Formats: sequence, structure tokens, C-alpha cells
Amino acid sequence: MQAVSNKKKVKSVSYSHWGYIFVAPFFITFLIFGLYPILFTFKTSVTDAVGWEHVLDNNIMNPWYENFRQLFDPNSLVYGKFWGSLGNTIIIWFFNFVPQLGLALILASWFTDSRLRLKAQGFFKVTIFMPNIITAATIGMLFMSFFAYPIGPVNTLIQTLGLSNLPIEYFRSVEWSRGLISFIQWWMWCGNTMIIMIAGISGINPSLFEAALVDGCSSRQTFWKITLPLIKPILVYNLTTSLVGGLTMFDIPHMMTQGNPNETTNTVARFIYTQGFTGSRNFNMASAASVVLFVIIIIGSLLIRYILNDHDPKPGKVSRKGAFVK
Amino acid sequence: MKKVLALVLAAMMLIGMMSIASADEGKIKLVVWSFTNELQGMIEKYYLPNHPELEIEFQIYPTDGNAYTTKVDNLLGANAASDEAPDIFTLEAAFVKHYVEMDWTGDLKDIGFTDEELSVAFPVMAQIGQNAAGVQKGLSWQSTPGVLMYRASLAEKYLGVTSPEEMQAKVADWDTFLATAEELKEASEGACKMVIGSGDIWNAYQYQRSEGWVVDGKLVIDDELLDFEELCKTLEEDDLTHKGGAWSEVWFAGMRGELETLCYFLPTWGLHYTLKPNCVAGWDAENPDSEENIANATENGTYGDWRITDGPVAYSWGGTWMGINAAKAAVADDAKKAAMHDLIYFFTLNDDFLTQYAADSGDFVGSAKAVETILANGGTPNPFLGGQDHYAIFASAAALANGSLMSEYDDTINGLWNDYVTTPYTKGEKDLDTCLSEFKAAVAAAITTITVE
Repeated sequence: MQAVSNKKKVKSVSYSHWGYIFVAPFFITFLIFGLYPILFTFKTSVTDAVGWEHVLDNNIMNPWYENFRQLFDPNSLVYGKFWGSLGNTIIIWFFNFVPQLGLALILASWFTDSRLRLKAQGFFKVTIFMPNIITAATIGMLFMSFFAYPIGPVNTLIQTLGLSNLPIEYFRSVEWSRGLISFIQWWMWCGNTMIIMIAGISGINPSLFEAALVDGCSSRQTFWKITLPLIKPILVYNLTTSLVGGLTMFDIPHMMTQGNPNETTNTVARFIYTQGFTGSRNFNMASAASVVLFVIIIIGSLLIRYILNDHDPKPGKVSRKGAFVK
Repeated sequence: MKKVLALVLAAMMLIGMMSIASADEGKIKLVVWSFTNELQGMIEKYYLPNHPELEIEFQIYPTDGNAYTTKVDNLLGANAASDEAPDIFTLEAAFVKHYVEMDWTGDLKDIGFTDEELSVAFPVMAQIGQNAAGVQKGLSWQSTPGVLMYRASLAEKYLGVTSPEEMQAKVADWDTFLATAEELKEASEGACKMVIGSGDIWNAYQYQRSEGWVVDGKLVIDDELLDFEELCKTLEEDDLTHKGGAWSEVWFAGMRGELETLCYFLPTWGLHYTLKPNCVAGWDAENPDSEENIANATENGTYGDWRITDGPVAYSWGGTWMGINAAKAAVADDAKKAAMHDLIYFFTLNDDFLTQYAADSGDFVGSAKAVETILANGGTPNPFLGGQDHYAIFASAAALANGSLMSEYDDTINGLWNDYVTTPYTKGEKDLDTCLSEFKAAVAAAITTITVE
């Protein structure tokens, strides 16, 4: 009897609590530095907190949704600025993300193609990833001096090459300003996306590629019919993180153009910054705009999941042990 | 071996702790916050050696990305009386008005300053350190009057001007300034420009206003500002500038003489810390006074070619004020209050120290009385200015500039004025009415606590 109960005891020894202990630091940090500020932002968004002296005053607006009403009221002062900045952000994000994903996919499929066997892969991967290591603010400053007016490296170059007689004022042109920001974002994040795509493709069972090879698939067919459908979860992940990163874009427009010319490179995060940290420090409006942005990002992420997920009737669910369950 | 090492380390730690503990006794502890190590260096060099009773804890946060103001706001807003909160903190021109208007920053009279003591400060610097009700909350050890700096060789070559007095007649007001710019263009066939960019004159021109941006809680667009826009537009359209911005590559190229540029509007610090080190490519910052460096700067740069004159308007640009934390001053005992008073007084108003400091650093100090002493002692002939005495010119500008124009929202509103009016209007992108209405909308959105009509 004694022995049996001992045996039972040994069987029921559980190590799961170690798991909780190991993840605890993250959750404690998150609760203090992540969740609390988020909840605080929600609270501030319905108060009249303007200026540092009044951050903790807790005077709820009347009606409580007054700040949100202003964001959605076409006659209010912040309406045009907020939605205009959202439009700018989406345009800049779009022209960064589409070429970024396209190029990253091509590079990833080349690097993983067993038929191509590219040489010096490590070198290329590192080189392409490199811009991601530099701080965005540094790159913003770098490009600002590259494209300086009336004297700067790029202006000197185009004048020497005879492409233009007069220096071009890049940061007074909407296309150039937005284009440069998109380009920097693309250049910085392409390597990162590529690495994720390579990881995704490497996770595909090689026998599928071998089978395709035996069946006489061309490289293009392999890519469209096998690689792409199988890395869909990675694509969803990448699109979602890029959407979150893109819609909260701040540092490069802030360092390089300060929202100029005429607010056309003002992003939502810059709008929130100027509301909260310049002028009269309108923390209430900055928080309300943050909450609206939060909701927009959630809707956007859900849309991406919905669009990219298979809508075909599913043949069956995969159970945990890998067996099909009809 | 390890044990011995551990024992030694532990013993050292213990001794260290004991010495700190014993040093604490009977000392007055002050917490001083600043955004550069300038004040710390001054206190350690000039003040602490003679004040062994003081223990000063310095905290330095950069102003980049508003790190300093955010830190001050957080602590003074939530925990102003805590041990880590500053007793004394420094304030820069960009945000000094914001803090002197707040109750967080204490009245200097509460720690023992008297009207008599305060009266020797330059009025412009004192005015900026006062709130709207006239309570003195900040004092500056520097005074930063601005002047017009010009290149004597270019002035003589194109305008026939041989002395700063003649030059002053050419830039006595903004109309003559513009006429001189046109004359210069004609004489040099467009090679030499009056200024680098129209934005360069803003720091001076804003002192032309009779009212600041915000009066009685309302946004005021002074008529002078519209004249400023017309001046800038004419400068731009008639091609009278190099079309560069301040602090840009072109701006510095003009200082080195690579582009012919006649005038720069710069204050006291601009002479020593901006113009001088940039007067030649390869300025030797380690040994600025070495013979080779001066020879190189004279030969290949613009050293010795600069002169200064009052320019069209007396203005001030910059400065660092010392303010006190009201919450900690309120609970301080008399000894601590006296220590705070003595420290601030020493650096901002003490005649002997300021005379000494001006001689050591070349800085232009904040006390009118100290400046008088320096001038009486023979002034400061400056080889960079061809032997001209910069102190005399700075002193007259410092006495005239009107500090009451500054408001707590200047930083934001100046930025918006440039982005929404000056840049689009002078570049011909929009007409003035559109610019003004967009500017007003931007101000109203950014500053909800003032009325915009």
C-alpha cells in the first residue's frame, strides 16, 4: 500500500510550476510597463487632462466620449489632422510594404532553392540584414544630410552629372518626402522580412520539394503552388507585425521631415506626439487618438487574418497528436 | 587567494560606506539638475572648494527628445518633495517660460533674494525669468544679447563700408537692410548674398514685435510679423539669400567663406561657440589659440575678418536660468534656504565671480554691474573681430532687448509659424491668407488653453 502511494506520488510530481516561474519576469515587467500604461491611456482618453499639472486630476469629460467625438467630428480642429495623418501613414506604409514583401519573398526563395545553390549566402544575408541594426533616428539624420538643400551630396551629384541645373528641394516635395520615408523603411526592414521568410520556407518538409522536382515542376510553379501556400501563417505574422509597425511609424518622419511639407508626412504617431508633448500638452486628445489607433490596428490585424486564412471547407481538423479527426 | 581578495573588497566597501556616512554629517545636501555639465563644472571649479559644508548631487539629462523636461515634469508633477527631486534646476530659453509660469517653480524671494540684489541683472534676462504676474523665478548667469556679425572684407569690397558705424547705418532698420541686400546683389553681380536664408533673421526679427504671441490668453499675430513675411518673400524672390537654413551645410560654408555671405545674426554664444570654430575647415578645437591654428584660420578661413554691430533690432537668443523647486524650498530649513540663495546668487549676480568667469571663459554674463566692471577694466579686444571689443556692443544690445515678448508657448508657436506661414509663403506655395488660417488652426489644435480668433 505504502509503495503504491509512493509510486503515485512520484507520478504526480509536476514541473509545470517552473514554467510559470520562468515566464513570470516577462509578465511582471509587462504588467508594470505594458499593461498599466495601456490602461492609464484608456483612462486619460476620457478625461480633460491638459498639461503635466493635470495628468492625475481625473476629471471625466462631459459627455465622457467628448475627446472621441472631436476626433470623429468633421468640424473639429483635430479631425482633419488626425485622419489626414492616418492617410499619410497608410500611403507611406503601403509603398514600403509591397516592395519589401515582394523582394523579401524573391530573395528568400532564391536562398532556399536547392537547385540554385547560391554561393556566399551568409555574406549576402548579413549585408541585406545590416541596415536593420542601425537606429532609425540615425538613418533619418543620414538621409536628411544626403538630400540637403541647396548644397548636399545628392544635389551635388545630380548637378555634376548634368541631370539638373538647379538643386532640388527634396523635402518641399510631397512625392520625394513620402518616397524617401517609404524607401528608408523598405531598406531597413527588407532584410528582417527576408530572414523570417527563409525560416518559414526552411520549415517546409523538403520531401514536398523533392516530389515536385520528380514530378517536373518548374521553379516558378514550385514557388506559387508549394512555397507560397505553405508559408501563409508566416505571411500572416509578417503582415500583422508590419501593419502594427507601419501604423505606429514615428522616428523617421519625426527626425527627417517633422511632418513637412504641409503635414503630408505627418504620421498618426507624430500627431499623437504633437498633441501630447508640444503646445499645451493635450494628453487627453493624445490618449484618445492612441485608443482609436489601437482599435484600427486590431481591426486591420483581424482583416489580414480573415483574408489570408483558407475559407475552403476544411477537410478536417488536425488534432494535437497529428492525427486527422474527421 | 579568492578569499583574501573577497575580504579586501569587502573591507574597501565598508570603508567606503563609512566615509560616505561620516561625510554626510552636518552637511547641507542640494540636488541640482541640468541638461549639460556646464553648471556642474562651474560649481566644482569655483564654488565647492570654498564651501565644504555643501554636498551637491548632480543629475544631468539631455534635452534631446525632451528627455530633460519629461524627467522634470514627471518628478515635479508626482513627487516634488522627494529626496531625488531637484532643489535647483536649470532652464533653457526654449522652456524657461513654461516653468516660470508653473507653481512648481518657486519664487526666488522665498529663499531670501531681495529686490536690491535682483536689480543688477540685465532687464531682458530678468524679464524672461519672471512669470506673467512679475514674480522672479529664474536667474541667468549668462546674458545672450544678439547682434549682427558681418565680414569686413566683403562689406568694404562691395559696399565701401570701412567701419562698424558705417555698417550700422546700412542695417539701421529692416528697410535699409533690404536696400543694402539689393545693393550688395548688384555690386557683386549676385555672388555675395546678404544672409544665408530668410529663416536666419527670425531670431532677431521676432523682437521687433510690440506684443508676444499670447496676450491675456489670446493668440496675437503682431503686424510686424506680416512685414517679416513680406521681407522674407522679397529676399527669396529677388534671390538675395543662399536659400539655406540655419545649422545646414550651407550655413557653415558661409562662415568659412566658401560662399560669399555678408551677415549672420548671432548672439554672444554664437560668436565663441558657432562662428569662431567654424571660420575655417579643420579648426583645431584642441588648441584653438595655437599660432598655427590662428594662422591657418586667417589664411584659409575668415578669422579676423568679422565685425559686429547692433543690427536693425536689439534681441536676445538663448540663456540658461536657474530655478528652484517650490515644494522642496517650502520645507527647507533656514540653513538650506540660505545655501540655495548663496549658490544661485554667486553664479548669477556676484560681481567678483562673474568678472572672473568672463575673463576665464569669454562668456557674456548676466549681471549688468559685472559687465560695467569688465568694460571699465579695459574691455575685451577680440582678435577674431580684428581687435573690436565685443563686450561693448553686446552690452548695448543686452540693455535694449525686450524680454517681455517671450511666452511659455513660444517654442511650439515659433515652429508652427515657420512650418505653416514662413516656409510655404516665401517659397510661393500658398497665399498669405491661406497660410494664416492654417497657422491659426494648427495653433488652436496644439494649444487648447488659449483662444484663437
